[in-house]
Amino acid sequence: MKVEASLYGDRKVFSVSAFNRGIATWLQRLPTVWVEGEVTELKRHQRWQSVFFTLKDPADGACLGVSMPRGQFDGLRLGLADGDHVHAYGRPELYAARGEFRLRALSLERFGLGDHLAALERLKRKLAAEGLFSAERKRALPVWPRTIGLVTGNDAAAKRDVLAGIQTRFPPAHVVVAETYVQGPRAAGAVVEALRRLSEVPGLDVVVVARGGGSFEDLLPFSDERLVRAIASCAVPVVSAVGHEQDTPLCDLAADVRASTPTAAARLVVPDLRELHERLDRARSGLERGARRSLESKVGRLEQAHERLRRAPALLVERRRAGLEHAAGRLRTLSPRATLNRGYAIVRADEAIVRSATSVESGERIEVEVGDGRFGARVE
Amino acid sequence: MSSEPTFEAAQKELEQIVQRLESGETGLDEAIALWERGEELYRFCLGKLDSAQGKIEQLASRVEASKP
Repeated sequence: MKVEASLYGDRKVFSVSAFNRGIATWLQRLPTVWVEGEVTELKRHQRWQSVFFTLKDPADGACLGVSMPRGQFDGLRLGLADGDHVHAYGRPELYAARGEFRLRALSLERFGLGDHLAALERLKRKLAAEGLFSAERKRALPVWPRTIGLVTGNDAAAKRDVLAGIQTRFPPAHVVVAETYVQGPRAAGAVVEALRRLSEVPGLDVVVVARGGGSFEDLLPFSDERLVRAIASCAVPVVSAVGHEQDTPLCDLAADVRASTPTAAARLVVPDLRELHERLDRARSGLERGARRSLESKVGRLEQAHERLRRAPALLVERRRAGLEHAAGRLRTLSPRATLNRGYAIVRADEAIVRSATSVESGERIEVEVGDGRFGARVE
Repeated sequence: MSSEPTFEAAQKELEQIVQRLESGETGLDEAIALWERGEELYRFCLGKLDSAQGKIEQLASRVEASKP
Protein backbone atom coordinates (compact mmCIF):
# COMPACT_ATOMS: atom_id res chain seq x y z
CA MET A 1 0.00 0.00 0.00
CA LYS A 2 1.34 3.36 -0.96
CA VAL A 3 1.55 5.83 1.91
CA GLU A 4 0.83 9.42 0.94
CA ALA A 5 3.27 12.07 2.04
CA SER A 6 3.42 15.83 1.53
CA LEU A 7 6.52 17.54 0.33
CA TYR A 8 7.74 20.75 1.99
CA GLY A 9 10.69 21.64 -0.18
CA ASP A 10 12.84 18.48 -0.03
CA ARG A 11 11.27 17.33 3.27
CA LYS A 12 8.90 14.40 3.02
CA VAL A 13 6.24 14.61 5.74
CA PHE A 14 3.59 12.06 6.70
CA SER A 15 0.34 12.71 8.39
CA VAL A 16 -0.13 10.83 11.69
CA SER A 17 -2.77 8.71 10.08
CA ALA A 18 -0.59 7.89 7.09
CA PHE A 19 2.35 7.12 9.37
CA ASN A 20 0.28 4.80 11.53
CA ARG A 21 -1.22 3.07 8.55
CA GLY A 22 2.20 2.65 7.02
CA ILE A 23 3.64 1.08 10.16
CA ALA A 24 0.54 -1.06 10.57
CA THR A 25 0.91 -2.35 7.05
CA TRP A 26 4.56 -3.11 7.58
CA LEU A 27 3.82 -4.96 10.83
CA GLN A 28 1.38 -7.22 9.02
CA ARG A 29 4.30 -8.83 7.28
CA LEU A 30 5.57 -10.26 10.58
CA PRO A 31 4.75 -13.92 11.27
CA THR A 32 2.20 -15.31 13.68
CA VAL A 33 3.82 -16.40 16.96
CA TRP A 34 3.10 -17.78 20.44
CA VAL A 35 3.68 -15.39 23.35
CA GLU A 36 3.67 -16.48 26.99
CA GLY A 37 2.69 -14.19 29.83
CA GLU A 38 0.49 -13.42 32.77
CA VAL A 39 -2.97 -11.94 32.12
CA THR A 40 -3.62 -8.55 33.75
CA GLU A 41 -6.13 -5.72 33.26
CA LEU A 42 -8.59 -7.99 31.47
CA LYS A 43 -11.37 -5.83 29.94
CA ARG A 44 -14.45 -7.33 28.36
CA HIS A 45 -17.59 -5.46 27.52
CA GLN A 46 -20.70 -6.61 25.72
CA ARG A 47 -20.58 -3.47 23.59
CA TRP A 48 -16.99 -4.04 22.44
CA GLN A 49 -16.01 -6.10 19.41
CA SER A 50 -12.79 -7.13 21.11
CA VAL A 51 -11.58 -8.18 24.49
CA PHE A 52 -8.51 -6.39 25.77
CA PHE A 53 -5.91 -7.42 28.30
CA THR A 54 -2.24 -6.95 29.06
CA LEU A 55 0.25 -9.80 29.02
CA LYS A 56 2.92 -9.32 31.65
CA ASP A 57 6.29 -11.05 31.74
CA PRO A 58 6.54 -12.44 35.30
CA ALA A 59 10.33 -12.26 35.14
CA ASP A 60 10.80 -8.54 34.59
CA GLY A 61 7.33 -7.00 34.34
CA ALA A 62 7.53 -6.21 30.62
CA CYS A 63 4.04 -5.61 29.24
CA LEU A 64 2.28 -6.25 25.96
CA GLY A 65 -1.25 -5.16 25.11
CA VAL A 66 -3.42 -7.88 23.55
CA SER A 67 -6.70 -7.68 21.76
CA MET A 68 -8.83 -10.59 20.74
CA PRO A 69 -12.16 -10.77 18.92
CA ARG A 70 -14.78 -11.12 21.65
CA GLY A 71 -16.64 -13.95 19.93
CA GLN A 72 -13.44 -15.98 19.68
CA PHE A 73 -12.51 -15.19 23.28
CA ASP A 74 -15.90 -16.24 24.60
CA GLY A 75 -15.90 -19.36 22.44
CA LEU A 76 -12.79 -20.66 24.23
CA ARG A 77 -14.61 -20.56 27.60
CA LEU A 78 -11.32 -20.21 29.43
CA GLY A 79 -12.83 -18.23 32.28
CA LEU A 80 -9.61 -16.27 32.54
CA ALA A 81 -8.87 -13.95 35.43
CA ASP A 82 -6.01 -11.58 36.19
CA GLY A 83 -2.90 -13.49 37.16
CA ASP A 84 -3.54 -16.52 34.92
CA HIS A 85 -0.70 -17.70 32.72
CA VAL A 86 -1.51 -18.03 29.05
CA HIS A 87 0.03 -18.71 25.69
CA ALA A 88 -1.38 -16.28 23.14
CA TYR A 89 -1.14 -17.04 19.44
CA GLY A 90 -1.25 -14.00 17.20
CA ARG A 91 0.61 -11.35 15.24
CA PRO A 92 1.81 -7.85 16.06
CA GLU A 93 -0.60 -5.12 15.20
CA LEU A 94 -0.71 -1.34 15.34
CA TYR A 95 -4.10 0.11 16.19
CA ALA A 96 -3.87 2.89 13.67
CA ALA A 97 -6.48 5.16 15.23
CA ARG A 98 -4.53 5.45 18.47
CA GLY A 99 -1.02 4.46 17.38
CA GLU A 100 -1.10 1.65 19.92
CA PHE A 101 1.04 -1.39 19.37
CA ARG A 102 -0.36 -4.69 20.55
CA LEU A 103 -0.72 -8.36 19.85
CA ARG A 104 -3.79 -9.35 17.88
CA ALA A 105 -4.58 -12.74 19.39
CA LEU A 106 -6.20 -15.41 17.28
CA SER A 107 -6.07 -18.10 19.91
CA LEU A 108 -5.39 -18.40 23.60
CA GLU A 109 -4.40 -21.30 25.85
CA ARG A 110 -4.09 -21.48 29.53
CA PHE A 111 -0.57 -22.29 30.55
CA GLY A 112 -0.46 -22.97 34.23
CA LEU A 113 1.57 -25.27 36.42
CA GLY A 114 -0.09 -28.33 34.94
CA ASP A 115 0.83 -27.33 31.41
CA HIS A 116 4.38 -26.58 32.47
CA LEU A 117 4.54 -29.99 34.06
CA ALA A 118 3.14 -31.67 30.97
CA ALA A 119 5.58 -29.84 28.70
CA LEU A 120 8.42 -30.75 31.05
CA GLU A 121 7.34 -34.37 31.05
CA ARG A 122 7.29 -34.43 27.24
CA LEU A 123 10.78 -32.94 27.09
CA LYS A 124 11.99 -35.37 29.72
CA ARG A 125 10.70 -38.34 27.76
CA LYS A 126 12.22 -37.04 24.56
CA LEU A 127 15.67 -36.49 26.09
CA ALA A 128 15.53 -39.80 27.94
CA ALA A 129 14.73 -41.54 24.64
CA GLU A 130 17.87 -39.97 23.22
CA GLY A 131 19.80 -41.52 26.11
CA LEU A 132 20.80 -38.17 27.55
CA PHE A 133 20.08 -39.31 31.11
CA SER A 134 21.40 -42.86 30.82
CA ALA A 135 23.68 -44.23 33.50
CA GLU A 136 26.36 -45.19 30.96
CA ARG A 137 26.88 -41.55 30.12
CA LYS A 138 27.72 -40.61 33.70
CA ARG A 139 31.36 -39.81 34.27
CA ALA A 140 33.20 -40.23 37.54
CA LEU A 141 34.29 -37.05 39.28
CA PRO A 142 38.04 -36.42 39.49
CA VAL A 143 39.60 -37.30 42.84
CA TRP A 144 41.93 -34.31 42.83
CA PRO A 145 40.41 -31.55 40.74
CA ARG A 146 42.95 -28.93 39.69
CA THR A 147 40.41 -26.33 38.67
CA ILE A 148 36.72 -26.29 39.53
CA GLY A 149 34.24 -24.26 37.52
CA LEU A 150 31.25 -22.85 39.39
CA VAL A 151 28.17 -21.60 37.55
CA THR A 152 25.98 -19.64 39.91
CA GLY A 153 24.07 -16.42 40.45
CA ASN A 154 25.96 -13.40 41.67
CA ASP A 155 26.00 -13.01 45.46
CA ALA A 156 23.73 -16.04 45.73
CA ALA A 157 23.67 -18.08 48.93
CA ALA A 158 24.33 -21.11 46.74
CA LYS A 159 27.58 -19.58 45.56
CA ARG A 160 28.65 -18.83 49.12
CA ASP A 161 27.80 -22.35 50.28
CA VAL A 162 29.75 -24.04 47.51
CA LEU A 163 32.80 -21.81 47.94
CA ALA A 164 32.76 -22.16 51.73
CA GLY A 165 32.39 -25.93 51.48
CA ILE A 166 35.28 -26.24 49.08
CA GLN A 167 37.52 -23.89 51.08
CA THR A 168 36.90 -25.76 54.33
CA ARG A 169 37.51 -29.19 52.96
CA PHE A 170 40.26 -28.53 50.52
CA PRO A 171 41.97 -25.13 50.89
CA PRO A 172 44.31 -25.54 47.90
CA ALA A 173 41.36 -25.90 45.49
CA HIS A 174 41.20 -23.44 42.60
CA VAL A 175 37.66 -22.30 41.76
CA VAL A 176 36.71 -20.27 38.71
CA VAL A 177 33.31 -18.65 39.23
CA ALA A 178 31.11 -17.87 36.23
CA GLU A 179 28.32 -15.64 37.47
CA THR A 180 25.13 -15.72 35.48
CA TYR A 181 21.38 -15.22 35.63
CA VAL A 182 19.80 -18.14 37.44
CA GLN A 183 16.20 -16.99 37.08
CA GLY A 184 13.95 -15.60 34.40
CA PRO A 185 13.84 -15.91 30.64
CA ARG A 186 17.50 -15.10 30.12
CA ALA A 187 18.78 -17.64 32.63
CA ALA A 188 18.90 -20.72 30.40
CA GLY A 189 20.91 -19.00 27.67
CA ALA A 190 23.13 -17.33 30.24
CA VAL A 191 23.96 -20.63 31.94
CA VAL A 192 24.76 -22.21 28.56
CA GLU A 193 27.07 -19.29 27.85
CA ALA A 194 28.67 -19.56 31.30
CA LEU A 195 29.35 -23.26 30.66
CA ARG A 196 30.93 -22.40 27.33
CA ARG A 197 33.16 -19.74 28.95
CA LEU A 198 34.24 -22.17 31.65
CA SER A 199 35.07 -24.85 29.12
CA GLU A 200 37.82 -22.56 27.84
CA VAL A 201 39.52 -22.38 31.23
CA PRO A 202 42.76 -24.39 30.99
CA GLY A 203 43.03 -27.33 33.35
CA LEU A 204 39.32 -27.35 34.17
CA ASP A 205 38.42 -30.73 35.70
CA VAL A 206 34.84 -30.40 36.90
CA VAL A 207 31.93 -27.95 36.86
CA VAL A 208 29.38 -27.29 39.58
CA VAL A 209 26.07 -25.70 38.61
CA ALA A 210 24.56 -24.32 41.81
CA ARG A 211 21.32 -22.57 42.48
CA GLY A 212 19.39 -22.36 45.70
CA GLY A 213 15.80 -23.36 46.15
CA GLY A 214 13.00 -21.49 44.46
CA SER A 215 9.50 -21.84 43.11
CA PHE A 216 8.74 -24.26 40.34
CA GLU A 217 8.82 -21.38 37.84
CA ASP A 218 12.09 -20.09 39.24
CA LEU A 219 13.73 -23.42 38.51
CA LEU A 220 12.20 -23.82 35.03
CA PRO A 221 15.29 -22.47 33.20
CA PHE A 222 17.19 -25.44 34.60
CA SER A 223 14.88 -27.72 32.66
CA ASP A 224 15.37 -25.75 29.46
CA GLU A 225 16.34 -28.03 26.61
CA ARG A 226 19.36 -25.92 25.58
CA LEU A 227 20.67 -25.88 29.13
CA VAL A 228 20.09 -29.59 29.67
CA ARG A 229 21.88 -30.42 26.42
CA ALA A 230 24.77 -28.09 27.28
CA ILE A 231 25.25 -29.89 30.59
CA ALA A 232 25.09 -33.32 28.98
CA SER A 233 27.67 -32.36 26.37
CA CYS A 234 29.99 -30.49 28.75
CA ALA A 235 33.62 -31.54 28.20
CA VAL A 236 34.19 -32.23 31.91
CA PRO A 237 31.96 -33.90 34.51
CA VAL A 238 29.16 -31.70 35.87
CA VAL A 239 27.69 -31.68 39.37
CA SER A 240 24.19 -30.25 39.50
CA ALA A 241 23.06 -28.66 42.74
CA VAL A 242 19.87 -26.92 41.73
CA GLY A 243 16.93 -26.36 44.04
CA HIS A 244 16.12 -28.51 47.02
CA GLU A 245 16.10 -32.25 47.51
CA GLN A 246 12.54 -32.69 46.23
CA ASP A 247 13.10 -30.65 43.04
CA THR A 248 14.32 -32.53 40.05
CA PRO A 249 14.97 -30.07 37.23
CA LEU A 250 16.06 -31.88 34.08
CA CYS A 251 19.61 -30.55 34.47
CA ASP A 252 19.90 -32.81 37.52
CA LEU A 253 19.21 -35.82 35.30
CA ALA A 254 21.68 -34.78 32.62
CA ALA A 255 24.48 -33.97 35.06
CA ASP A 256 27.03 -36.64 35.91
CA VAL A 257 26.31 -36.31 39.61
CA ARG A 258 23.41 -34.73 41.39
CA ALA A 259 23.94 -32.98 44.71
CA SER A 260 21.01 -32.33 47.03
CA THR A 261 22.40 -28.94 48.15
CA PRO A 262 25.26 -26.61 47.18
CA THR A 263 27.12 -27.71 50.33
CA ALA A 264 26.72 -31.34 49.30
CA ALA A 265 28.13 -30.40 45.88
CA ALA A 266 31.25 -29.04 47.58
CA ARG A 267 31.63 -32.31 49.46
CA LEU A 268 31.38 -34.23 46.18
CA VAL A 269 33.93 -32.29 44.16
CA VAL A 270 36.82 -32.02 46.60
CA PRO A 271 38.30 -34.48 49.07
CA ASP A 272 38.58 -33.57 52.74
CA LEU A 273 42.22 -32.63 53.19
CA ARG A 274 42.25 -33.30 56.94
CA GLU A 275 40.73 -36.72 56.47
CA LEU A 276 43.28 -37.46 53.76
CA HIS A 277 46.08 -36.57 56.16
CA GLU A 278 44.65 -38.83 58.80
CA ARG A 279 44.31 -41.69 56.37
CA LEU A 280 47.85 -41.16 55.17
CA ASP A 281 49.16 -41.25 58.74
CA ARG A 282 47.25 -44.43 59.45
CA ALA A 283 48.57 -45.99 56.27
CA ARG A 284 52.12 -45.03 57.19
CA SER A 285 51.99 -46.66 60.61
CA GLY A 286 50.30 -49.67 59.03
CA LEU A 287 53.15 -49.78 56.56
CA GLU A 288 55.75 -50.09 59.29
CA ARG A 289 53.73 -52.67 61.21
CA GLY A 290 53.23 -54.67 58.02
CA ALA A 291 56.91 -54.60 57.12
CA ARG A 292 57.91 -55.78 60.59
CA ARG A 293 55.30 -58.53 60.63
CA SER A 294 56.34 -59.78 57.22
CA LEU A 295 59.98 -59.81 58.28
CA GLU A 296 59.20 -61.65 61.51
CA SER A 297 57.29 -64.38 59.72
CA LYS A 298 60.14 -64.82 57.26
CA VAL A 299 62.70 -65.05 60.05
CA GLY A 300 60.52 -67.66 61.78
CA ARG A 301 60.16 -69.72 58.63
CA LEU A 302 63.88 -69.53 57.89
CA GLU A 303 64.86 -70.54 61.42
CA GLN A 304 62.48 -73.47 61.28
CA ALA A 305 64.00 -74.63 58.00
CA HIS A 306 67.46 -74.19 59.42
CA GLU A 307 66.63 -76.21 62.54
CA ARG A 308 65.37 -79.05 60.39
CA LEU A 309 68.41 -78.76 58.14
CA ARG A 310 70.72 -78.92 61.13
CA ARG A 311 69.06 -82.04 62.52
CA ALA A 312 68.57 -83.87 59.24
CA PRO A 313 72.16 -85.13 58.60
CA ALA A 314 72.55 -86.37 62.16
CA LEU A 315 69.22 -88.13 61.91
CA LEU A 316 70.29 -89.60 58.61
CA VAL A 317 73.57 -90.91 60.07
CA GLU A 318 71.68 -92.17 63.09
CA ARG A 319 69.29 -94.03 60.90
CA ARG A 320 72.12 -95.47 58.85
CA ARG A 321 73.90 -96.54 62.05
CA ALA A 322 70.79 -98.29 63.28
CA GLY A 323 70.49 -100.04 59.93
CA LEU A 324 74.08 -101.11 60.23
CA GLU A 325 73.58 -102.46 63.76
CA HIS A 326 70.58 -104.38 62.56
CA ALA A 327 72.58 -105.91 59.72
CA ALA A 328 75.42 -106.76 62.09
CA GLY A 329 72.97 -108.49 64.43
CA ARG A 330 71.55 -110.52 61.63
CA LEU A 331 75.07 -111.34 60.45
CA ARG A 332 75.95 -112.56 63.88
CA THR A 333 72.85 -114.71 64.01
CA LEU A 334 73.77 -116.31 60.74
CA SER A 335 77.42 -117.06 61.77
CA PRO A 336 78.20 -120.66 62.93
CA ARG A 337 79.41 -119.56 66.35
CA ALA A 338 75.93 -119.52 67.77
CA THR A 339 75.40 -123.06 66.48
CA LEU A 340 78.70 -124.21 68.06
CA ASN A 341 77.59 -122.68 71.35
CA ARG A 342 74.61 -124.97 71.24
CA GLY A 343 77.03 -128.03 71.32
CA TYR A 344 77.83 -128.59 67.67
CA ALA A 345 81.43 -128.81 66.50
CA ILE A 346 83.28 -128.20 63.29
CA VAL A 347 85.86 -130.82 62.36
CA ARG A 348 88.70 -129.87 60.11
CA ALA A 349 91.36 -132.08 58.56
CA ASP A 350 94.27 -130.18 56.96
CA GLU A 351 92.21 -126.98 57.48
CA ALA A 352 89.45 -128.44 55.32
CA ILE A 353 86.06 -128.96 56.90
CA VAL A 354 85.19 -132.65 57.25
CA ARG A 355 81.77 -133.20 55.74
CA SER A 356 81.87 -137.03 55.35
CA ALA A 357 82.97 -139.92 57.61
CA THR A 358 84.72 -141.57 54.69
CA SER A 359 86.97 -138.57 54.11
CA VAL A 360 89.11 -139.34 57.15
CA GLU A 361 91.22 -142.28 57.98
CA SER A 362 91.99 -143.95 61.27
CA GLY A 363 94.91 -142.35 63.04
CA GLU A 364 94.60 -139.11 61.08
CA ARG A 365 95.04 -135.91 63.03
CA ILE A 366 92.04 -133.62 63.00
CA GLU A 367 91.11 -130.35 64.59
CA VAL A 368 87.80 -129.82 66.41
CA GLU A 369 86.24 -126.40 66.85
CA VAL A 370 83.60 -125.90 69.54
CA GLY A 371 81.92 -122.81 70.89
CA ASP A 372 84.79 -121.47 72.94
CA GLY A 373 87.84 -122.71 71.04
CA ARG A 374 89.70 -125.47 69.24
CA PHE A 375 91.47 -128.65 70.25
CA GLY A 376 93.32 -131.39 68.44
CA ALA A 377 92.21 -135.05 68.18
CA ARG A 378 92.99 -138.25 66.36
CA VAL A 379 90.58 -140.43 64.37
CA GLU A 380 90.19 -143.97 65.74
CA MET B 1 75.59 -68.37 44.35
CA SER B 2 77.39 -66.39 41.69
CA SER B 3 74.39 -64.58 40.26
CA GLU B 4 72.54 -63.67 43.44
CA PRO B 5 69.16 -65.44 43.76
CA THR B 6 66.17 -63.77 45.35
CA PHE B 7 65.38 -64.38 48.96
CA GLU B 8 62.30 -66.37 47.99
CA ALA B 9 64.24 -68.62 45.56
CA ALA B 10 66.90 -69.31 48.18
CA GLN B 11 64.29 -70.00 50.84
CA LYS B 12 62.48 -72.39 48.51
CA GLU B 13 65.65 -74.28 47.65
CA LEU B 14 66.56 -74.51 51.32
CA GLU B 15 63.17 -76.00 52.17
CA GLN B 16 63.42 -78.48 49.31
CA ILE B 17 66.82 -79.58 50.58
CA VAL B 18 65.41 -80.09 54.08
CA GLN B 19 62.59 -82.18 52.65
CA ARG B 20 64.98 -84.34 50.69
CA LEU B 21 67.21 -84.87 53.69
CA GLU B 22 64.25 -85.71 55.89
CA SER B 23 62.96 -88.24 53.42
CA GLY B 24 66.15 -90.24 54.13
CA GLU B 25 66.46 -91.30 50.52
CA THR B 26 69.74 -89.58 49.79
CA GLY B 27 73.14 -91.16 49.86
CA LEU B 28 75.43 -90.14 52.71
CA ASP B 29 77.86 -88.20 50.53
CA GLU B 30 74.93 -86.46 48.86
CA ALA B 31 73.40 -85.74 52.24
CA ILE B 32 76.55 -84.00 53.40
CA ALA B 33 76.74 -82.00 50.17
CA LEU B 34 73.09 -81.03 50.54
CA TRP B 35 73.64 -79.97 54.11
CA GLU B 36 76.51 -77.71 53.15
CA ARG B 37 74.42 -76.21 50.38
CA GLY B 38 71.55 -75.75 52.84
CA GLU B 39 73.76 -73.96 55.35
CA GLU B 40 75.00 -71.70 52.60
CA LEU B 41 71.40 -70.87 51.61
CA TYR B 42 70.49 -70.27 55.25
CA ARG B 43 73.34 -67.79 55.71
CA PHE B 44 72.35 -66.03 52.52
CA CYS B 45 68.68 -65.72 53.58
CA LEU B 46 69.66 -64.61 57.06
CA GLY B 47 71.86 -61.90 55.57
CA LYS B 48 68.96 -60.70 53.44
CA LEU B 49 66.63 -60.56 56.44
CA ASP B 50 69.23 -58.78 58.56
CA SER B 51 69.66 -56.10 55.94
CA ALA B 52 65.87 -55.76 55.60
CA GLN B 53 65.60 -55.39 59.35
CA GLY B 54 68.29 -52.70 59.23
CA LYS B 55 66.38 -50.81 56.56
CA ILE B 56 63.15 -51.00 58.53
CA GLU B 57 64.82 -49.58 61.62
CA GLN B 58 66.42 -46.84 59.55
CA LEU B 59 63.10 -45.87 57.94
CA ALA B 60 61.24 -46.08 61.22
CA SER B 61 63.69 -43.72 62.91
CA ARG B 62 63.51 -41.35 59.95
CA VAL B 63 59.69 -41.38 60.10
CA GLU B 64 59.86 -40.79 63.85
CA ALA B 65 62.21 -37.85 63.30
CA SER B 66 59.98 -36.28 60.63
CA LYS B 67 56.82 -36.36 62.76
CA PRO B 68 55.64 -32.82 63.48
